[in-house]
Amino acid sequence: MNKQGTFRSRLGTYGGPVLVILWTLFPVIWILSLSFKPESGINNQKFLPDSFTLENYRTVFKTPLFTSALRNSIFISLIATVLSVMIATVAAYAIARLDFPGKKLILSLALAIAMFPAVSLVGPLFDIWRSIGLYDTWLGLIIPYMSFTLPLSIWTLSAFFREIPWEMEQAAQIDGATPWQAFRKVIVPLAAPGVFTAAILAFFFAWNDFVFGISLTSTDAARPVPAALAFFTGASQFQRPAAAISAAAVVVTIPVVILVLLFQRRIVAGLTAGAVKG
Amino acid sequence: MTATTTAAPAVGIPVPVSERARNEKRLGWKLTAPAVIVMLAVTAYPMLNALWLSLFSYRLTDPAAREFIGLRNYGVVLSDALWWQTVVTTVIITVVTVAVELVIGFAFAMVMHRVVFGRKVVRTSILIPYGIITVVSAFAWKYAFALDSGFVNNWFGLGDFAWFGERWSSIVVICMSEIWKTTPFMSLLLLAGLAQVPEVLQEAAAVDGATWRQRLTRVTLPNMKGAIMVAVLFRTLDAYRLFDNVFIMTAGAQKTETVSFLAYRQMISRTALGLGSAVSVLLFLSVVAIAAVFIKGFKVDLSSVRGR
Amino acid sequence: MSDRRKWTVAVAVVLVASATAACGGGEAGAPTLNWYINPDNGGQKELAAKCSAASNGAFRISTSVLPNDATSQREQLVRRLAAKDASIDLMSLDPPFIPEFAEAGFLRAFSDDEARELTAGALSGPVESGTWDGKLMGAPFWANTQLLWFRKSVAQAAGINPARDPVTWSQIIDLASAAGKTVEVQGNLYEGYMVLISALVSSAGGKILENPEAGKNVRPAIDSDAGRKAAEVIQKLGRSKAADPALSTTDEEAGRAAFQGARGGFMVNWAYIYGAAQEAVVAGTLDQAVVDDIGWARYPRVDAAMPSRPPLGGINLGIGAFGKHKDEALQAVRCITSLESQTQYMLKSKNPSARAAVYDNAEVRKVFPMADDLRASLDAGAPRPRTPYYTDVSTAVQRSFHPPASVDPNRAPAKAGKLIVDVLKDKVLL
Repeated sequence: MNKQGTFRSRLGTYGGPVLVILWTLFPVIWILSLSFKPESGINNQKFLPDSFTLENYRTVFKTPLFTSALRNSIFISLIATVLSVMIATVAAYAIARLDFPGKKLILSLALAIAMFPAVSLVGPLFDIWRSIGLYDTWLGLIIPYMSFTLPLSIWTLSAFFREIPWEMEQAAQIDGATPWQAFRKVIVPLAAPGVFTAAILAFFFAWNDFVFGISLTSTDAARPVPAALAFFTGASQFQRPAAAISAAAVVVTIPVVILVLLFQRRIVAGLTAGAVKG
Repeated sequence: MTATTTAAPAVGIPVPVSERARNEKRLGWKLTAPAVIVMLAVTAYPMLNALWLSLFSYRLTDPAAREFIGLRNYGVVLSDALWWQTVVTTVIITVVTVAVELVIGFAFAMVMHRVVFGRKVVRTSILIPYGIITVVSAFAWKYAFALDSGFVNNWFGLGDFAWFGERWSSIVVICMSEIWKTTPFMSLLLLAGLAQVPEVLQEAAAVDGATWRQRLTRVTLPNMKGAIMVAVLFRTLDAYRLFDNVFIMTAGAQKTETVSFLAYRQMISRTALGLGSAVSVLLFLSVVAIAAVFIKGFKVDLSSVRGR
Repeated sequence: MSDRRKWTVAVAVVLVASATAACGGGEAGAPTLNWYINPDNGGQKELAAKCSAASNGAFRISTSVLPNDATSQREQLVRRLAAKDASIDLMSLDPPFIPEFAEAGFLRAFSDDEARELTAGALSGPVESGTWDGKLMGAPFWANTQLLWFRKSVAQAAGINPARDPVTWSQIIDLASAAGKTVEVQGNLYEGYMVLISALVSSAGGKILENPEAGKNVRPAIDSDAGRKAAEVIQKLGRSKAADPALSTTDEEAGRAAFQGARGGFMVNWAYIYGAAQEAVVAGTLDQAVVDDIGWARYPRVDAAMPSRPPLGGINLGIGAFGKHKDEALQAVRCITSLESQTQYMLKSKNPSARAAVYDNAEVRKVFPMADDLRASLDAGAPRPRTPYYTDVSTAVQRSFHPPASVDPNRAPAKAGKLIVDVLKDKVLL
């Protein structure tokens, strides 16, 4: 009885976490394993490679489709993130700090827009973009990316800003600073961690986008990584190189893993902050 | 998360109340104006454009034949079996994924809540599926189940069963990828909810001799109802838009097409802008309807979402 | 880790990533022609370099690769051209899409004189498929056709010689089932499946559309005996033991992999597969013995008494209607489609030439022992329906016939016919 009890609690202490880790990492390890399989061994129908090669990584870095997509994705996502976070910071400050009619409406609007089906926007955007020359350009993706990065940032930041000790701002104002100065000199440094978290989350979303990426681009000029993965080509138009796609997939996962490793606590806080009270 | 500090009203300086309030109002609007304008410009404007386009018979490769036809496109879509088939597929995938995610997500949340050993490792690893590109997840699961490169059939002795050759097995794999990728989000929301359940209640119940199951159903779950509903709402709206996994795994074959994929094909592949816009508008309306059902029907308290 | 250090690491990661990504873009020069190409093993890029050099500085050709499958290739081009994109100077076009592009005004038509020059010595199939409304819109570049590929050992054991005596679908399905081998076809829901259906209908003596040139007012002809016979072949294969387990998702490459494997018996597939198999031997992923075991014959018959009509494919070169360097583009087309270039391309990329004379080249005949069969197949081939609404017609047919195992010969052709009409009249979704 007692023995079983300790076994059970041990299972709870170690089994649970191990299970969670297995679940989350298993597909990642699989794709990593695929990326090391040589072209001849890709169909060995085993989890692990029979022999090990780095050839697939050499292939993807020699593929202009991929290298330019990497460049596009990094910059488009970063620009969309920075712009959204800048606009959102100002708005969230007002929402958390000031009392004015319509702020609840703005938050509801942000929530509604964050839930907007991207596919609904794609058709009209395509029609507008092609007539004003934004089709297949960076700006042509940055703008639609803001349709989700901006509401997400407003959401996360309003929640963060509510936790900031605003008395310090008041103290600054008593010392003779204008509200704007108080915001810039006192609150901005305090708010920076929240802003950074919002930026990470927004970046994840922009980095993940597929619908806009395949619909509003058509060449290396703006095609982002997820779209490039879907269009990877082999030695002929009939070949689809699974191993190379896997290698590319691993490469684009590395930034995600690094961000998660560095900012795990911030991301968790950011994800839950906007969603649940408290 | 700690207890809420409701934003203290900005008082303290002796300024005439009405003028101060007016200033504050004006400043508030000024600061939020850019955000509101951008949000409306990137969504409301295209959506109105879609509404307008949906009233035309209009094909990009045949612009000369563009013609105003009123609501006829909506009639075509709503009376089309294909539309309803995609709706059914989407609803099935949504219900299955959200239900499974709720169970697994809850279990993970419990693990994370109680975990003493490897807390940081668990939390870090759970964020990896969250951060991974959906397309990458789709490829990983597709290759795992594919007949040529996959190990699944080999491991489970399924011979040459073609997972992507039939509707239900394809949907199973699509759901798996979706569940794997989005359970972390669900479990983190639930974890935040778990943290809100007063420890005192748990202990009191335990003292009263309640079993683990009783504590779960009588104490834990009722106290997290808000968090659960919010998590389910977010995930339902997200799942209903499902597109990436279908695009990569089956490209809509074997009747696995979702509403988003149908809209994409009409708009982008067929460049039938009129008909496609009608599908897009209907997709948008379905999402609005789901949200309305949750908020009105299930009384999801959005003010709790808003953090008051 | 301190916050400052985290920031430093994050910034460093971004910098390294952007630096890695930054290589491989941006070049300058006088008139640069953009050539949108379908994926190949570098053959078109080679020709681009060769013709740039041959122009003596008049122009430079740079290539942009389109996605894998024909439908996505069209999608990318249509979207750019609908935006009146001036950067498309040249494009490698799958012939079925030429009518749509021509009608929409996306292509610069070749004058009669240019057409005469560009089509001199070309096979009739590629010329016909590059022409719309009496004008050459796409210059023949390379031509594709499918053969019946078979494992000699399997055919021998079954006591047949398809290379000598034409075989029927029914015959090879039965033989393969009895021998525990497969008949590989393209059964995935994509353009390749339409290629199969169209070839079966044509081989049964029918066609998909009665009057393809009528655009939206087209009358389908698939709901006919020929359509039903085609559906019977697909049904029979789909339900037989000769079907690939993944028939409903099999594309060209999956079929080739299975054909080269232990259960490989028969396969219909494009010309590239022989070269691809040889490359696999060089790469060490395939036994030479398998390549030696590969035989080829004319596409199988549907009706024992009627010669088959193999599918036609390939690539024609079009000049973008909105490009700024059309004269240079024309010069480039002349160079890329020259006899010399086409010979070079066939040898490099293993795709058959659109010019008859290439098949007599000694080196080509060495690499392509089936050169004469390819040429005969090209001459006998039937094109897919030539309509400006090709994509919709093709999708309607594919959907009505998918998945292969559940095709009902009494219903699928009728369903396809009705769907084609309804879709073109915007009465249903597709």
